[in-house]
Order: sequence, then structure tokens, then C-alpha cells
Amino acid sequence: MRLKLVLELLDVPGQLLDALNPIGRLGANIVAVIHQRDVKTERGTIPVQITIEGDEETLNKVLKMLETKGIQIIQVDGILRKEKITTILIGNIIDQDVKDTVNILNQLDGVRVADLDLKMSDHPEHSASKIIIEADYGRKKLVTSKIKEIGSNKGFLVINEV
Amino acid sequence: MRICIIGFGSVGQGVAQVFNMKRDRIKQDYDLDLQLVAVADSKGAVISEEGINPALLLETKQNTGRVSDYPEYGVNGVTGMDLLDTVEYDCLVEVTPTNICDGEPARSHMLKAMNTGRNVVTSNKGPLALGFTELRDTAQDNNVMFKYEASVGGAMPIINFAQETLSGCEIESIYGILNGTTNYILSRMAKEGSSYNQTLNEAQEMNIAETNPTQDVEGEDAACKVVILANSIMNMNVTYNDVMVKGISQITPESIQLAKKEGYLIKLIGEVSHDSLEVSPRLVNEGSPFAVEGTLNVATLKTDLADDVTVVGKGAGSIETASAILSDIISISKSMI
Repeated sequence: MRLKLVLELLDVPGQLLDALNPIGRLGANIVAVIHQRDVKTERGTIPVQITIEGDEETLNKVLKMLETKGIQIIQVDGILRKEKITTILIGNIIDQDVKDTVNILNQLDGVRVADLDLKMSDHPEHSASKIIIEADYGRKKLVTSKIKEIGSNKGFLVINEV
Repeated sequence: MRICIIGFGSVGQGVAQVFNMKRDRIKQDYDLDLQLVAVADSKGAVISEEGINPALLLETKQNTGRVSDYPEYGVNGVTGMDLLDTVEYDCLVEVTPTNICDGEPARSHMLKAMNTGRNVVTSNKGPLALGFTELRDTAQDNNVMFKYEASVGGAMPIINFAQETLSGCEIESIYGILNGTTNYILSRMAKEGSSYNQTLNEAQEMNIAETNPTQDVEGEDAACKVVILANSIMNMNVTYNDVMVKGISQITPESIQLAKKEGYLIKLIGEVSHDSLEVSPRLVNEGSPFAVEGTLNVATLKTDLADDVTVVGKGAGSIETASAILSDIISISKSMI
């Protein structure tokens, strides 16, 4: 069977090879690799499409190996594995310790804070922070409700996506 | 059809104005004679079985501020309830100011009209948000029609649209911008980078925001509409207190800038679904149907068969709101034949 993956790699020499080498060693065939260095995600990483062939067991081993190596798999056979969630919080970010907010989110299974942007206001109690979260597909509801909970505990106004 | 209007502010006057503009046309097209037999404002009333002239009534109200100064037929001190006891009419148009504490006096007006076998058309959100079931059941028990298209989204068709045009579909959720004032403020803040207070002042100067803007900016008005949509379109049985409400007064230019950087706008969104009843500022994509500017309202209905259907329209304004009331009156007259 064939599997089409989209991986997200850092724009550093050797990254692609590091991902591809073990696939061959596990006994899977690499059928195609589409690697466009000029297409970058907003975090500066590069999405790489690869198609691999092998029996089910081998392909599962490949997926596990990629995960243990910390390589982000964004899509498997056209199905998104990760989704991006953006939220904005308004409130006294410094007093309420933004790092703690990030930690709470990172502790959720399959959830990772990917980007954080702060804008201080003339009134510190109205400062704004934007948090971009990457989560395993299907976890969006959990993440948004967790953010709401954090918001009500810390007195932030939460602006979630529609 | 003999019509009685209670409440003669912006919406009531709009209704009189569209009667004046459209009466001949409606008679011709629908064989419906709109006869205004009684109108009450907070200070008095005018009653005439032969019919009140809408143009003269509007002129009187503009000149003296009270409908009871209407020549010959004006009466001072008569209340809405008195009117409903004395006048022979077919349809009540209830357009008194919205009261979201107890829905009065509109609730009593509507119940009285229904209990005496009269149809009711309203734009009044208060009683609908607080006691929708009571009103709907009373109308059913008395076998009269109860229409309230104008209560949500002004001229934007949504309630009749969902109940009639999309009647074969199950509506799974509704997301919408249901308040024009806040949409104006947020759109201006996004465009000009101005502060909330500055923009609110500007909106007040332009009569887009009221002197006491709380109902709009704190999301209360939108929350009433969420309740009306939940009850009328999604067959839920909820009231105002079931809605989680957050307004826009804490929105800062900095937060709007952060949103913009990611391709988002901040809008006050009402959400109606079986999981959640909520009014809160939300991030919407700049290219999405929610990216409307000015005082426009918009709503997306997620349906099982037709997928997403979006409607956009003017959410406020005297004539615009009256247009929805007129449609309701016409639809009642059709069902009476």
C-alpha cells in the first residue's frame, strides 16, 4: 500500500536526509518526494510531500519513527493531522504570567504553542497577546474550551476563532 | 386589515411611513387594504375606525412629539392596554422600546392581543428573549399568528427565511453579526487604528450608537437575538440567562493589530448551537462572509442539506426594520384568506 505524507521540516541542511534515510532502512520504498524550498510556513518551516510504499506494518513503523524523531506530520493521505488554532487574549498579561498560560496549553495532550506575540498597551491591564497553537486534528474544541477556562480564571477577555 | 400600532418611536414611525409609501401598491398586488385604526405612544393615542392618515400622523408626531395631537381623533393619556380594550382591530404591531428586564409593557400588550384573538407582529426583542415560549404557546392556543422577523437583524431576512425557505433543512447552528452598532465600531477601529472610546464617541455623534450604549456594546442586544433564533429556528427552549455574553468595550487597537497580522478581524459574533449559546468577540477571516463593514448584519446558517447559507442586510434603521414588519403583515393577510 501507498501512503502520502506531508512533513514539516526545519529549513536547515540535512533535515530532509535525516527524515528519508530511516524510511529506507525500515524497508519502505520512497516513491516520490516533493520538496519546494521557497514555500515556507509562517514559522519558517518547509512542508515536504513524500509518498512511500510498503506493507501496513512497515508503514506504521515509519510513522512511529518520524514521530519519535520529532518530525511533524501535517497530513496523512490528504487528511490533516494538525490544525492551527489562533486566539487573542486581552488583560493584564504580565501580572497574570503569560508563561503559565503557555505551560497549561502545552500540557494538553497533542497540543503545542507554536507562536506567541505580545503587544503592550498604554494601560498594562489591557495588553494583548496572540497565541498560535498547533493541535492534533480534532482537538480544537478541547483547546478552545481550555483557553476560555484560562481566560475566566485569569480575568482575560478571550477572542477565539469563529 | 385593521392595524393597531403601539409604540411610535423610530420603528413605529417607519411603519407609518411604509404604509404611506406602499398602501396603494399592496392593495393592488395583494388585495390587502392596510387600515391604520389606532396608534399609541407613551403619552396618548389616536383612534379612528375610518382610518388614520399616516402622513398626517407623522407630521403631527414631528411637530408636537405626541400622536394624541392628531386632529379630531387624538386622545391624551390613553395607554396601550386601554387601546386594546376599546379598539376593533385585526393585527397588533407592537413596537414599544425593548425592555430586557421584564419585557414589559410589550409582553402584556402582545398577550392581551393574542388572548382576544388578534394577530401580532413585533420587532420587540425583550419579551421574545425572556418569554418566547409563553408568547408562542398563547398564539397557538388562540389560533392567531405571531410574527417577529423584525426582531432579529432588521431588514436582514433570517427567521422567515429559515422557517420557510429552508424549511426542508435541519439548521445545525447559526453564527452571525447581529448588532450593527458594534460592527460599525469594530470596523472603524480596524480601519483607523483608533481607540474604543474614541470610536464609540464618533458613533454616538453619528447617531449610530445611543447615548447609553450598554445594550449594544456589552452584547445584550445581540444576546436577545441569539435567544430568539435559538427558540424560533432551532426549537430550543432557552432564555436570556442561558447566553454567555461578552461585549466589545475591552477591545483594544493592539488586539486588532495582532489579529490583522494573522489575517483576522475581530467581530462581535452571536453563536447559536445545541452546544453553545454565546455572544463574544471572535476572530473571523478577512476573506470570510463575516468580514462585513459598517452597520451591516450577517448570519450563516449551517444546514444538513444546503450546507452553509449566508444572509446579509441592514440590521437597523427605521424604514429597513419596518420593511420586515410589513412582510410579516402581508404574510398574515395571505394566511387569513
